Amino acid sequence: MFDYLYKNGIENFIGVPDSTLKKFIKCGLENKKIIITTREEEAIGIATGMLLAKSPSLVFMQNAGFANSLSTITSLVQLYKIPLIFLIGWRGFLKNDAPEHTKIGRIQPGLLKIMEIDHKIIKDSNWKKMCDWALKKSQNNKSCALIIPREFLD
Amino acid sequence: MIRNEAMQIFLEKIKKDPIVSANGFISRDLFNIHDKKTNFYMIGSMGLASSIGLGIALTIPRKRIFVFDGDGNILMNLGSLTTIGKLQPKNLIHVIFDNSIHESTGGQPTSSSIISIAKIAKSCKYKKIFTSSSKKGILKILDTIKNNQGPIMIIVKIEGGGNSGRRISIPPEKIKDYFIEEL
Repeated sequence: MFDYLYKNGIENFIGVPDSTLKKFIKCGLENKKIIITTREEEAIGIATGMLLAKSPSLVFMQNAGFANSLSTITSLVQLYKIPLIFLIGWRGFLKNDAPEHTKIGRIQPGLLKIMEIDHKIIKDSNWKKMCDWALKKSQNNKSCALIIPREFLD
Repeated sequence: MIRNEAMQIFLEKIKKDPIVSANGFISRDLFNIHDKKTNFYMIGSMGLASSIGLGIALTIPRKRIFVFDGDGNILMNLGSLTTIGKLQPKNLIHVIFDNSIHESTGGQPTSSSIISIAKIAKSCKYKKIFTSSSKKGILKILDTIKNNQGPIMIIVKIEGGGNSGRRISIPPEKIKDYFIEEL
């Protein structure tokens, strides 16, 4: 998925690591295209700067970090209409995930809805189609989110 | 010296370089002193001016990028200093107007009177760190940095007070469009 997005025009991948996304991040690190930040808001800020300089960018994070970012999304990404793609790992998707993820995982769909973020859930079977959807949104100057549910426990 | 006066000294010298200005009175002052299309006025997302500046600086290394930050703003996103230090953008000039208060919200104290932002920046591998509280000092620094590589930090110690100035009258989407167009 990393290779696909990279080959199709995304030049920067910035964010905070998440175990659901570890293969994606590993791929990006091997390509030296990943910037790891200290917090998710910081990643959104850097990606915004890159987009202002016309360089297509994606931010990745766990859904806990998405919750950290709400104010930045409303007062930067949505206010200025920054065409950012979010890639969000969804912990707490499975009911028996770790306790710290239970509540935020349960309200994740509601949060996306109330934040009015255009989004798609990614599965093994549809990832390419969903990536195309997100790339098109970004080319049309709109922000959007791709959500990857964590369907395994470790 | 108050922020407005300090900023005027910078703007006499900066001319065309892009500036990302932190939300609150900093953006308002910049707008009122010298509005130009290569100013990115933040009106929300407190703390992120340096992150946005970093993103621009990394993408356009041939241009000097100024960030006009405040002490309250940078203290809110200290992690940004570590990321800037890690990535070493040569063209980033990070100016901090430090009055040790959150002036935009009514003058509540920040910890910059007790904690040294300069020392934190040094630990974060900023290449040069300057501190000044006078016009002469700022002019000298601006002259010196012509020959320096970044990341550079300039801390300007200022007093609180002064007029807050008009709010920014350009719609946010236009601020973005102008900036992208002129960059």
